[in-house]
Amino acid sequence: MTLSAETPASGAGPTRDRIAGVGLVAFGLFAVWEARALPFGSLGNPGAGMFPVALALMLAALGLLLALKGGGPALGARGWKEARPGLAIFAALAFAALALETLGYRLTVTAVLLFLIGAVERKGWRAAVLVAFGFAFVSHALFADFLRVPLPRGPFGI
Amino acid sequence: MTIAKHVLSALGALALLVAGWPALAQEKFPAHPVTMVVPFPPGGVADQTGRPLAAAMEKVLKQPVIVSNKVGAGGAVGMAAAANAKPDGYTILMALSSISIIPEADKLFDRKPAYQMDQLAPIALISSDPTVLVVPAEMPWKTVADFVADAKKRPGEISFSSSGLYGTLHMAMEMFAHGAGIKLRHVPFNGAGPAMTALLGGHVNALASGPGVVIPQIKAGKLRALAGWGDKRLPVLPDVPTFKELGFKDVEFYIWSGVFVPAATPAEVRKTLRETVKQAVASAEFKDAMTKLETPIAYLDAPEFKKFWDKDAAMLAAAVKKVGRIEEKK
Amino acid sequence: MAETLHNLALGFSVATSPEMLLFAFAGCLVGTLVGMLPGVGPLAGISLLLPATYGLNPTAAIVLLGGIYYGAMYGGSTTSILMRIPGEAASVMTCLDGYAMTQKGRAGAALAIAAIGSFVAGTLSVVGLMLLAPPLADLALRFGPPEYFGLLVLGLFVLAALSGGSVAKTLAMAVLGLFLGTIGIDLMSGFFRFQYGLHELGDGIGIVPVAVGLFGISEILLALGRAEPPRVQKPKLRELLPSRRELAESAAPIGRGTVLGFFIGIIPGSAHIISSFVSYALERKISKHPERFGQGAVAGVAGPESANNAAACGAFVPMLALGVPSGPIPAVMLAALMVHGVAPGPMLMAEQPKLFWGFVASMYIGNLMLLVLNLPLVGLLVNLLRVPYAYLYPAILAFCVLGVYAVNQSVIDVWIMIAMGGLGVLLRKFDFEVAPVVLGLVLSPMLEVALRQSLAMSAGDWSIFVTRPIAATLVGFAVVLALAGVASSLRGRAAWRRRLGLES
Repeated sequence: MTLSAETPASGAGPTRDRIAGVGLVAFGLFAVWEARALPFGSLGNPGAGMFPVALALMLAALGLLLALKGGGPALGARGWKEARPGLAIFAALAFAALALETLGYRLTVTAVLLFLIGAVERKGWRAAVLVAFGFAFVSHALFADFLRVPLPRGPFGI
Repeated sequence: MTIAKHVLSALGALALLVAGWPALAQEKFPAHPVTMVVPFPPGGVADQTGRPLAAAMEKVLKQPVIVSNKVGAGGAVGMAAAANAKPDGYTILMALSSISIIPEADKLFDRKPAYQMDQLAPIALISSDPTVLVVPAEMPWKTVADFVADAKKRPGEISFSSSGLYGTLHMAMEMFAHGAGIKLRHVPFNGAGPAMTALLGGHVNALASGPGVVIPQIKAGKLRALAGWGDKRLPVLPDVPTFKELGFKDVEFYIWSGVFVPAATPAEVRKTLRETVKQAVASAEFKDAMTKLETPIAYLDAPEFKKFWDKDAAMLAAAVKKVGRIEEKK
Repeated sequence: MAETLHNLALGFSVATSPEMLLFAFAGCLVGTLVGMLPGVGPLAGISLLLPATYGLNPTAAIVLLGGIYYGAMYGGSTTSILMRIPGEAASVMTCLDGYAMTQKGRAGAALAIAAIGSFVAGTLSVVGLMLLAPPLADLALRFGPPEYFGLLVLGLFVLAALSGGSVAKTLAMAVLGLFLGTIGIDLMSGFFRFQYGLHELGDGIGIVPVAVGLFGISEILLALGRAEPPRVQKPKLRELLPSRRELAESAAPIGRGTVLGFFIGIIPGSAHIISSFVSYALERKISKHPERFGQGAVAGVAGPESANNAAACGAFVPMLALGVPSGPIPAVMLAALMVHGVAPGPMLMAEQPKLFWGFVASMYIGNLMLLVLNLPLVGLLVNLLRVPYAYLYPAILAFCVLGVYAVNQSVIDVWIMIAMGGLGVLLRKFDFEVAPVVLGLVLSPMLEVALRQSLAMSAGDWSIFVTRPIAATLVGFAVVLALAGVASSLRGRAAWRRRLGLES
């Protein structure tokens, strides 16, 4: 892995490190801008803004260094095969975050597992239903009922 | 994030609709478990008071009272959650004095307040404990007079720790400093525990602390108590004078805990809750729990508590304003 | 000495009563289960379960909590090893080599070594606690903000040693972590930095959601992108145990980790988190095969796991000897005592010998019990890897949501975990390491606050760092290490390039 990092750019397009460097510079500058309202203070009495601004500037500087050196393969070289399942997973997690405190733990987790096992992985609905309900209710019984970990409940106390 | 919040509130509304369905057919509070929001972590003062109270309330209400620790931002997260909860009596809040400080601090920094104090209605005051001024035993000061004289000789050099900027322990100390006309150096810490550790290590010279945690240290000869913020001497420290006795008449401060509900909670439900808390506080098991914590019960029902709270809040607001923003002072 | 032995005998007579043994066992079991939730480590574990102990007598409560504490610590390393999900901040380092060992089919060995390391470290540091508590406690209290700052600066240079690839990239990640650590209400001035309307950010971004997102979620996403899903492992019984060589390789790191962890743990504050990072860096530094680190080096599991266990024990030194809430976990333990009317203080040992020595003895027993409980559990846990990935990863995701939510009961934390999962994928796609981000995040608030508290103590005079002996020593060490590090990395890199040139 370290070896491949040292190989020069191959293929067309900007290299991996160049894009990453530009990204870091952009983030660093954005962070400095966002921290502008915080008092900077002095060396003897640092204000709330000193640390964030100094760190953001350092980040931007390191990004610049990286962008100038620009090592690594072209961006497309490694492929983005995880994009499709990735989106499905993020959708499922976002749903979980939105629904957790309204639908409750058990219903939310059942829905997430049904979606991931049944629709994304296509393992057959019977297996999906079994695993989803089983997991949600058994884990709730173990952690919430037995171990008293506070987990949100949904409508009708489910 | 804002979109997320909109979707969340839409989903929330939907869920409330579903959850509220059986409620339409119901007659009397409480028909299902009550949640007590404690905005501080397990083991803290609010938690230690809240849990035995919840247990005692359960017996009166004949419904479970579930404690939920909603921690964050010095209590602001939990208090905001309670302030914005559905005002049906099923969400109650166990709060400390800092409930009056957070909105003031928000005002000071011109930020959107986490909650407004009028979003919450008092139910009862549960406990109130005056803070005690302690210094390491090896310090030369034997009395408040020694301390003040030394502080006047070298202004801004005697340091004190606190549980956090604008926190209760900080405010108590500022009241004393203002009353005595002295200037002290403030070193804030992240909580009462670290503040105490710093004092015992000799890294700061003084601390205003709740009595429970310092008494063993005083007995062991590590710390010395100079004065108390109460209106009478503490039974466990009969030799320690109060600031009032010493002539500082406005220097009075208590760390108190009380129960609140969202302001729009129906009067009927509030009455039930007041009665419940009253009985719970009087129960032997609750008294026993508080004795073990060495925290005196100071029960006040809603009307008197309201008066107490208004006075306390005004005092704290003034203290916060006096301290002001830190960067502007230097 | 005779008195200590006599007291210890008293302690064992308390701790070996059937009732106390039962509490110790229940604590270990419950702690292990809760600790297996992603993100739920010892602190969250005992906080969550503290209320359950309110009804017990003080000795039973503290024995139960001690068990939960040890169990949660051990449970945390399980998910790190099997699934690359850090159970807590202190097991982030275990993710690196522990999970690499799992991928090589050595999950059983990694789990067993973690258990043995924890046992040895736990037992030895209880001995240390017993013999050294009073003198060390006074030393511990002499660590104020300036000393803490010195220690943290020293810790920061550990970052450099963590770098596996490009120095600039590692530094950038560390700085990113440090920057993320500035989010929240500034302790020293009350300003809310980067709020965006979210009060929940007041205490800053939690380490738990960031670590679970960066390590765990990103691992799942990247695994799905690989041509083949992670293959189902069918471990055989004899492969479960560490080989003779693996045991031999882990002996010295366990010893070093124990000593290092114990002394770092004594220092008030959250210093125990740093112990695992320092141990990992140390092992890598003195190893004959530093290139094996990250690829499944046994020492990379043994060292940090022992260090964080020993540090956990060291943290009890100031608490038991002086009754000082010297860190978040001792603070919760003290609260548990106060609920029972036991006023913790310097007199605890003299006034409550049964409680104190009972606790010490039950720590020995708890450790042993954990080993007995966990070695057979290794066989069971490793079988989780037999579950096909299509079923396994949705369940892991559900556990991540459950664990991260449970720590603070905060949906915002779940969102942070999701965002960090996305960030983790991006960073790893661009060949950045994510461990320095977590380390930066851990160190940042402590470093900044310690610096500014020191300056508040001295009214802005920087000489406070050189006029206090302990602080001056630590800062001096840091400077020397930094210089030596720069020099050796320049030399090392040149040598490495030459070697590469020869090989290719």
